[in-house]
Amino acid sequence: MKITSRTMGAAALLVVTASAVAIQGCTDLTETPTSAITPDNYYNTQAEIIGGLAGVYSTLRNTLDEYYNVSQVSTDEIIVPTRGSDWYDNGKWLELHRQTWSPTSAAGSDNINSAWSNLWSGVAKANAVITALKPNQVPNQAAIEGELRALRAFYYIALMDLFGPVPIVTTTEIKERPQNTRKEVLDFVEKELIAARPGLPAKWDAGNWGRVTQGAVDAMLTSIYLNAEVYGGTVSASGIAKGPARWADVITTADKIINSGTYSLASNWEANFRPDNQNSAENIFVVRFSTVDGLGLNLNMRSFHYNSSTAGGWNGFSTVSDTYNAFDAADRRRGIFLIGPQVNQSTGAPINDRAGNRLIFTPEIKDPTAANEGEGARIYKFTLDKSVTNQNQPNDFPHYRLGEVYLSKAEAQNELGQTAAAIATINQIRARVFAPAKPLATSLSQAQARTAIYNERLFELTGEGKRRQDMIRAGSYTKPFQFKTNTDAYRVLMPIPQSQLATNSLLKQNPGY
Amino acid sequence: MTQNHNLAFSGGSQDTRYRASLNYMNQEGVVIANGFERLQGRLNANTTTMDGKLILGLNMTASQVTNKYLPFETVGGFEGGVFNNMVTFNPTRSILNSTAGGNPYYEIGPGRQGQRNPVALANQVKDNAVTNRALGNITAAYTIFSSLTASANIGVDKSASVRNHYFPAISPAGAEFNGLAAIDNRSVSSATVQTLLTYKPNIGEQSEFEVVGGYEHADYTTSGFGAQGRNFLTDAFTFNNLGAGATLNPPYSYAVTNRLASFFTRANYSFKNRYFLTGVVRKDGSSKFGVGNKWATFPAVSASWKVSDESFMRNQSLFSDLRLRVGYGLQGNQAVDPYASLTLLGTDGGARYIFGNTVYTGVIPIQNPNPNLKWEQTAQTSAAIDFGMHNNKFTGTVEVYNKKTTDLLLRVDVPQPAVVGQQLQNIGSVSNRGLEASLDASLISSAKKTWNVGLVLSVDRNKVESLGKQKYIGTGGVSGQGQSGRQSQRIIPGQAIGTFWGPEFSGINATGQQLFNKYKVTRDAAGNETGRSLDGTTTSPGGDDEMILGNANPKFSSGIRTTGTLGKFDFNALLRSDVGQKVFNNTALVYATKSNALQDKNFLKSAINDGIAISEPAIFSSRYIENGSFLRLANITVGYSFKVPGMSAKSGPTRLYVSGDNLLLFSKYTGYDPEVNAAAGLAARGIDYLAYPRARTITTGIRVGF
Repeated sequence: MKITSRTMGAAALLVVTASAVAIQGCTDLTETPTSAITPDNYYNTQAEIIGGLAGVYSTLRNTLDEYYNVSQVSTDEIIVPTRGSDWYDNGKWLELHRQTWSPTSAAGSDNINSAWSNLWSGVAKANAVITALKPNQVPNQAAIEGELRALRAFYYIALMDLFGPVPIVTTTEIKERPQNTRKEVLDFVEKELIAARPGLPAKWDAGNWGRVTQGAVDAMLTSIYLNAEVYGGTVSASGIAKGPARWADVITTADKIINSGTYSLASNWEANFRPDNQNSAENIFVVRFSTVDGLGLNLNMRSFHYNSSTAGGWNGFSTVSDTYNAFDAADRRRGIFLIGPQVNQSTGAPINDRAGNRLIFTPEIKDPTAANEGEGARIYKFTLDKSVTNQNQPNDFPHYRLGEVYLSKAEAQNELGQTAAAIATINQIRARVFAPAKPLATSLSQAQARTAIYNERLFELTGEGKRRQDMIRAGSYTKPFQFKTNTDAYRVLMPIPQSQLATNSLLKQNPGY
Repeated sequence: MTQNHNLAFSGGSQDTRYRASLNYMNQEGVVIANGFERLQGRLNANTTTMDGKLILGLNMTASQVTNKYLPFETVGGFEGGVFNNMVTFNPTRSILNSTAGGNPYYEIGPGRQGQRNPVALANQVKDNAVTNRALGNITAAYTIFSSLTASANIGVDKSASVRNHYFPAISPAGAEFNGLAAIDNRSVSSATVQTLLTYKPNIGEQSEFEVVGGYEHADYTTSGFGAQGRNFLTDAFTFNNLGAGATLNPPYSYAVTNRLASFFTRANYSFKNRYFLTGVVRKDGSSKFGVGNKWATFPAVSASWKVSDESFMRNQSLFSDLRLRVGYGLQGNQAVDPYASLTLLGTDGGARYIFGNTVYTGVIPIQNPNPNLKWEQTAQTSAAIDFGMHNNKFTGTVEVYNKKTTDLLLRVDVPQPAVVGQQLQNIGSVSNRGLEASLDASLISSAKKTWNVGLVLSVDRNKVESLGKQKYIGTGGVSGQGQSGRQSQRIIPGQAIGTFWGPEFSGINATGQQLFNKYKVTRDAAGNETGRSLDGTTTSPGGDDEMILGNANPKFSSGIRTTGTLGKFDFNALLRSDVGQKVFNNTALVYATKSNALQDKNFLKSAINDGIAISEPAIFSSRYIENGSFLRLANITVGYSFKVPGMSAKSGPTRLYVSGDNLLLFSKYTGYDPEVNAAAGLAARGIDYLAYPRARTITTGIRVGF
């Protein structure tokens, strides 16, 4: 190897020059992200704002995670028995059903904490886009603002429903904030929905189907008016002191929907839940799902046995036998339950349990701490698209549909003393599910009608996340039901998880906890 | 089985030297379908010129590493990976399928399965990565005056890797997707520049002084690209034809950069070769922190005193060498992601939504800003004695240290509403106090025989001093069915990192259910525990029944090392021991539970007669927190060196050797190795879950010099 002094001189020069250049340029430590965006250069065009809006909508899918689970499993609709080690999960599922949660318990720090975070994330995303919008920035801005405010109100309804008094927040800073009363949250939600409504269309075109409409706002209003005694009241360690009822408002908003001409009861009840249920004229406000990976509905997985479909199942959620047995055998709606010898729902082929015996679902669960694979009836309401081999099912999930609006109207009519009219309203719902027809007797007393409506809501809405609200309104939520003893009346509100109290010292724990 | 081959040559003239080497290594895994192959070349050269005033150097390394990964080692979702199924798959089932056509491996049924043939998983699922790396640097040092030297070092390091996956449709792992192929590219590069000026004036016979000033910076870039195809007509393409998949997932790409810059100065002063003083000041800047917090200053100072050279030590013969050292230093840590202080909006996949029948990309905040984000700092104070006795026949060191890390970079929950539930903050502090001691004895030292024995002892006490407003941070997620949401450890102020937390197992009741101690807890108005008393037992422990169950840190660690020669033979051996640590046997929790049998899965033999009913779930408790103390014979090597006749006198001797690693283990731990750490969350330690087996290896080798 031979190196001349000239090449060495050149090398030395190179080193010195390179280091001089380096020193000048490299004390600059400013960061410019290359594959992420900062708010300074975003939310300017229509497409960018729609991107933000899609983000706010996307939290709707999360309402079917722990908000849904807590609303279902803490009632007589669903129990998640422990099967060997399966579904023990630190005891959180049985804790939910027995209502023995605390701010630090398994369910408190897991399911309830996730429900809290998910719902707030929806509020925060909405606030981020609302505060970024400048006046008259894009075409159709009134509708977009209306959607954002209505979606934020929807997440607030769920927060108020589970946790009662929560902070009302419309800005984006992350800071500790004190709670508003539950009544103040109710008033805020009502005001926001009424303000959002005029900007929204009665119906979106096919390319925008699934976005918030005036009907969706009316359905949300109907729901908060229906629960106004609860949401507008206060909860102490001894239970609820009810606020003022809003029955007349329930009827007004329900009639707006019924008379809008936009919605009609599906003659085929099951059509509301099928994979093609976006064609149902009954669904008013849904969570959109599709077969695209990560955007599918997986509700069936929670109840399916491991072999119940090509995509499998998780063998968890079951219905207690008292609830299953409450259904009339002649009621088509009992068809949502899987019971008896089982087949693969994708292929129709008979299936076995994991020990190799024919899988048979039985209504009875002998011991929820030690159940076998086949115990418990399973809800299978949102039927499979059999061409889909994975968990991404395309069924939309209706948070509000016309069937429920009729039931809400009937409940309000009955509470206002119009029992005969209430029974007539309910019978519109029953007409499509009994052949031969089996209408409720018009001779029922107001109290009998109240019970009938409470039960009718179970038959119509099982699996749709309404049972907790219904039981709290009826005063039955903390009373004994199957596999649950009497619990303290303050449990109509969930505890604020301990980890959330730790982040915000201005939050006060709900009474009793 | 491992093969390792080295070839090197070197040469040059008086001014210029070079060395080139080539290394090839091929290591087969302990488990089938697992392995590692590396080819590496190096070239080093330097030359001196301009009458010795300029020294130029060049170093280059290029390597290619091929890794064959074991798919789903322990992960793999609910169905589990190779190791899970090794435990649960009924061994009386066949491995291969006897019927012709279709899957050559036996599976319980077609399609997705709750249990999978582990041999098929290992052999059918393809997962490999090829990494090409090239790094090089050139150095130049120029002596301006005899007391002043300038030097520069410019380096680049670039590595590009491609990871390929294929989950065949025929395997239960890929059945759900009807075949899934993915390719992920990742490229990491850095460019560094360092310049130094060294001034070493002559300040007299008895003193030496040197001061160095410098500047350095480094630019780091990480970028990636990947794509995925699913739903293949045939498994024949594996990952070599992504486009053949009927379903193509959207590709992704990303690029992030960050920069480190430092100014530093170091001064050394010594007097009479007996008193030494060193001071360092660094000013480090990292682009990752908030505006105004990017730069921080880190000083360090140390002093030592060579006592044995003092005149008053001349009259003793015990200490042949004695030195005292003390030091203090502050260090920074910037190990966070780039852009960590900024609000970032992103097109997170979970933010997509469907309007009509069109999927719209959602854009949401994906990171909360923290303009106050700054360097994490560790201050360390230490003092040490180094000694040699009897003409250094015995040498040793005893060092004590106290380390405190403040402004910990931790992701903590923020008050809601917040789109992202956590924010990176500087909160809390952690301390480590400890002692490290070593003693080496040269017991025999003659031309034909040598024998040295060394002892080491270390004691470290770790403590979480503060977590800001957080009362604790849960970590150490428990693995296994029915364990979701269960954590085995808590980081609690006042306790060590690695503290286990859960209910205390107290026995088994008549119906075969596990019993746990039940506690009555009293609390003050703020909800802090003020006392607890035992209140019988329970089968379903709640939050109040959970408590500290020990921690994963050893009380002390020690080792004995011995080396020696006897004629042409040489030997060395190493014994290691950790004492007093606890290990959470997550493997036993999941697999020593009889209810597995209800799912047609195996369970460990230890569960047969444990008195627990078959319907009882696996419940995390002190039952699975075990004593992890151990003594390990880590290595014994014996070698024999000789001259090969006919080789030149210049060449070194030829050596034959046999070496054994991990030969013996003594421990009361019931799993197969207590020295484990499954990845289970922030700072979790001491968790054993289907750990990759530590190999007992025997190596034989020959080194030939010529």
